Amino acid sequence: MSTTLLTGSEAAAYGARLARIEVLAYYPITPAFPAMERVSKFIDDGELNTRFVRVESDHSALAAALGASLAGSRTFTVTNSQGLLYMTEVVYHTAGLRQPVVMAVANRALSAPHSRFPEQGDAISQGASGWIQLFCENNQEVLDNMLQAFKIAETIRLPVMVNYEGYIQSHTLEEVEIPDEEKIDQFLPLNRVRTLDVEHPQGVNTVASPEFYMDYKFRQNEAMEQALTVINNVASDYAKEFGRDWSGLIEAYQMDDAEHVIVAMGSMVSDARIVVDELRKAGRKVGLVKVRAWRPFPVEALREALKNVQLITVCDKNIVYGLGGALGTEVKSALYGQSIRLNSYILGLGGRDVTTEEIKKVLELSEKTEQQAITSEWFGL
Amino acid sequence: MAISIADLSKEELFGQGHAGCGGCGAAVAGRQAMKALGSRTIITIPASCMATLGGSNLKTTWQIPFYHTLFEMAPAVSSGIRAALEAQGIEDVNVVSWAGDAGTADIGFQSLTGAAERNEHMIHVCYDNEMYMNTGGQTGSQTPMYAITSNMSKGKAVKKKNMLAIMQAHEIDYVASASIAYPLDLIAKFKKAAEKPGFSYIHILAPCHRGWQIPAEKTIEYARLAVESGLFELYEVDEGVRNRTFEPTFIPVADYLTTQGRFKHLTSEQVVKLQKSINVYYGRGGDEE
Repeated sequence: MSTTLLTGSEAAAYGARLARIEVLAYYPITPAFPAMERVSKFIDDGELNTRFVRVESDHSALAAALGASLAGSRTFTVTNSQGLLYMTEVVYHTAGLRQPVVMAVANRALSAPHSRFPEQGDAISQGASGWIQLFCENNQEVLDNMLQAFKIAETIRLPVMVNYEGYIQSHTLEEVEIPDEEKIDQFLPLNRVRTLDVEHPQGVNTVASPEFYMDYKFRQNEAMEQALTVINNVASDYAKEFGRDWSGLIEAYQMDDAEHVIVAMGSMVSDARIVVDELRKAGRKVGLVKVRAWRPFPVEALREALKNVQLITVCDKNIVYGLGGALGTEVKSALYGQSIRLNSYILGLGGRDVTTEEIKKVLELSEKTEQQAITSEWFGL
Repeated sequence: MAISIADLSKEELFGQGHAGCGGCGAAVAGRQAMKALGSRTIITIPASCMATLGGSNLKTTWQIPFYHTLFEMAPAVSSGIRAALEAQGIEDVNVVSWAGDAGTADIGFQSLTGAAERNEHMIHVCYDNEMYMNTGGQTGSQTPMYAITSNMSKGKAVKKKNMLAIMQAHEIDYVASASIAYPLDLIAKFKKAAEKPGFSYIHILAPCHRGWQIPAEKTIEYARLAVESGLFELYEVDEGVRNRTFEPTFIPVADYLTTQGRFKHLTSEQVVKLQKSINVYYGRGGDEE
């Protein structure tokens, strides 16, 4: 075990290295490219025995990773924003084929207008794709979630996205503890499952008629529901082994007597944590619920964590046009039947800064708002 | 290195009980190719007739690992499969992507040119029926000039894109054209491609009787007429060395064209023009008139 300064990109790359990925495929995009280059450097330096498929597009990046996974190898890719949208067809397909591909996503705003700055809209656009999605609040969690992602993916046979925000996380140095390789090898032993195997030939993705298609989809969704348990178990196994507890699906912070609660995911969580600490010092009963797993959506865990609160303020770095923030909408849906005041806010789109000050102002605004309209309010225009 | 029919394996790795039409040129191509490739082959097939006629639901006619991929990604998927085999130390497996003319020359071209440029250790096959038959027969880049299709009732106004020349320009290990009417030539080319350490491209003319509007029992005959007229040349470019593998007898191109429904509207001037371009190509004095 060693502690060093790493960017989020490097943390993702170290995660791939510790997981001993066998095949890597990516197509360069900003701001994900430093993670890609770092893994390639590990390979060039002989520190990682991995085949790199230098594809000509993001679509082919996931296609190559998928092919390698079907042939039984542990595979990894990295992308964001337009690249993720371009590979969307393969994103859905990979989940339907139940292949445990892990993808790091350095979340970035979507065009138009063109932007290369942080936002969660790219990941949100894939919310119906059948991928497990984890959001990271800091670079240590990027590394730890990468390792947990492979464990979760290979346990339940579903692909996993590890989301961290562009620049705010991808290009910012933080202290990160790197676990020992031997311990990771024990936590994450290589277990090859060959779907395409000349020793056991089978047809893959043959045309499914109406008598079959719906049942496949039922099984796929059932696996997503089982993932709710798997994610919690893997987080707790990881905590036992490596001493860092990321609390599974959600984390309840200062929630014992909390009256006003922030719900957020990604980089805003670390700011919200500071805000909660400050307000607690001033005697305010505020708390934080971090959504770590956005897919599958942790309905039961949220209902349990939020059952005794008076006011919920959801912060979203994304917009689902004509509806509101994705997290706000889904928390409302999760709490159906409970009469808890809930206000949801859109902030920080396309890289607009969100600091602890913005979060404090949002909390004040929410406290003054009696009952918000169905859609989210925009903050910071 | 001549191959005879008697030498071929009796094993049928593809084709028994396939769901294609009677007289399907693509299915014939698949059966012939598998005689050369053998059981230690993984095949990926993007959206196309070939992807669906090999099986559906819980049944498949493929006796090898077969993966029906998304439309535009078979060469990329195959690249990943090869990478995984290498990572696992598995060396004696052929990796093949097998696409129609759309999955090769049009929607699939990006991943094809990428895999070819990287000189991936794999074979890409284009089974070319010169139109988008899996969606009912629309015009694509491999549709020849003048041909009538389901969405161009007046015929195509521009020429067929020369995929063999494009693939040759990638300077890959092996490029070859082939025809289902010349199975031994086709099989020999697949055997050569399978021995290459890098990328091979094989372009098979595989008539579709429905699209071409010819009798189902004449699929092979029209495949032969295309070659004998000189319109579809059988050749290979083996590590840069070009070699014609069959000398046509130069039957009049009209014999190939005018009995096909898709060309029934051709004027005699258009036929003469096509005949002249064939004569020029083969140095048979067509440019003298």
